[in-house]
Amino acid sequence: MISIAVSSQKGGVGKTTVSINLAHSFARAGVRTLLVDADPQGSVGLSLTRQSRLLAGFYDYLADPGIPLDRLIVPTRLETFSLVASGQASDYEAGGGGMGAHLARVRAFLRSVAARGFDLCLIDTAAGLFGVTGDVIASSDAIMIPQQAEPLGIRSVPKLLEGLNRLRVMNPRLSVLGVCLTMVQHDLAESTEAAAALRQLLPPEMVFQTQIPRDGLFVRASARGLPIGVLEDGAGAQVVFDSLRMEIEAKLEPTSGQHAVR
Amino acid sequence: MDPIYPWLDPIEVRRLADRLMKPNHEPAVSVTDAGFDDGFVGYASEPCASSPLPAPQPPPIREVAPTPYQAQPSPPPADFPSSARGPFLERIQRFRDWMRHHFSATGIFILDREGAVIFDESSHGRLHFLARSLALASRRPGATGGNVHVKIGAGATLEVIPVDTAYGCLVLGAVVPEALAPPAVGAVMEALAQVASPPAEN
Repeated sequence: MISIAVSSQKGGVGKTTVSINLAHSFARAGVRTLLVDADPQGSVGLSLTRQSRLLAGFYDYLADPGIPLDRLIVPTRLETFSLVASGQASDYEAGGGGMGAHLARVRAFLRSVAARGFDLCLIDTAAGLFGVTGDVIASSDAIMIPQQAEPLGIRSVPKLLEGLNRLRVMNPRLSVLGVCLTMVQHDLAESTEAAAALRQLLPPEMVFQTQIPRDGLFVRASARGLPIGVLEDGAGAQVVFDSLRMEIEAKLEPTSGQHAVR
Repeated sequence: MDPIYPWLDPIEVRRLADRLMKPNHEPAVSVTDAGFDDGFVGYASEPCASSPLPAPQPPPIREVAPTPYQAQPSPPPADFPSSARGPFLERIQRFRDWMRHHFSATGIFILDREGAVIFDESSHGRLHFLARSLALASRRPGATGGNVHVKIGAGATLEVIPVDTAYGCLVLGAVVPEALAPPAVGAVMEALAQVASPPAEN
């Protein structure tokens, strides 16, 4: 199994949208996928399940060692796609604390997910690279970083890179899949210029070729509690996430011994 | 004015990015060291290793500490309020307060059977490895583990108490002024077993 954290320095950059639709793309391709909501705001759960406020989830697992993984897994209509909601316990109830406070529990969680037979565990984290998010990144095989195509977001990149370098000391096997530009607006000069600036700043292999456009379809999809590919007019957007998935698969293949998704 | 480049140092950004994209062959930062910190002054008397292994016998006695310790007068074990339920962490915190009140514990930690930290407010993270090793060493085939204690500093003893619970064997480490007397150890075991029991099904 491979675990991928979807994380960013800044909030509101589209982590949940990327996580949901990327996980759905992997699942559609036959990869047994578990999407985990590790954001205490519970955005994945709120997007996809009406009962998310009642479900035990990831933070309950951190807070209570007696909860088995099976109690947390929510199946979907797609056999290969399951969810773990954020849960009822908050970061605070799980003990709060700084980096490392939940490392052992997060790693136990990932071991349980692997033992349950999943091929991929995609983890939507809270913004920032500290606390539980830091522990998730320090326990994952790989990380991908959604980054909004706007100047303020790009200015936060040095801090992001510093944080990732620190976490890599704790987790040397962490593979940085790259930065994915999100909310790209082709009709807005500042957005396209920010996207171009990021590509110039970072090594080419660190920025995904696939860009996620800003699109009203995403709002409609979350209003209906569905991944975008399930919408009747969502096929075009699904192609974008399929392309992102294929880029990730290609990045993971060179180290297939450890990181093969399938 | 350029909205991006004046705000950051492109050379530094590229350096950080290149470092991230390189395969990292450094070993992970390990937390499993010997478990002793500067305050450790050695075992209370004879270390375990110098004692010949006892012949396999049923160990009915809980106290298996390898020290000729004469129990100091400990506060009489008080019953842990078994009716107090609530989230697991709250129960553990009540247990910690109870340990503090009745046994003057300055800190406790609890490890699971894999050695993972379930709770730690002891500020003695470096003692985890020691506690787990002692707990494992105190186990005998076919018997439950007994408590073990080592002196870790002036006026500080690490009491290690393995407790079988509904969730498997948990290892309690408590930093107390003096080693606990057998009745106190029994009370602590019972209290932790209660804390770690699942809520009754309605």
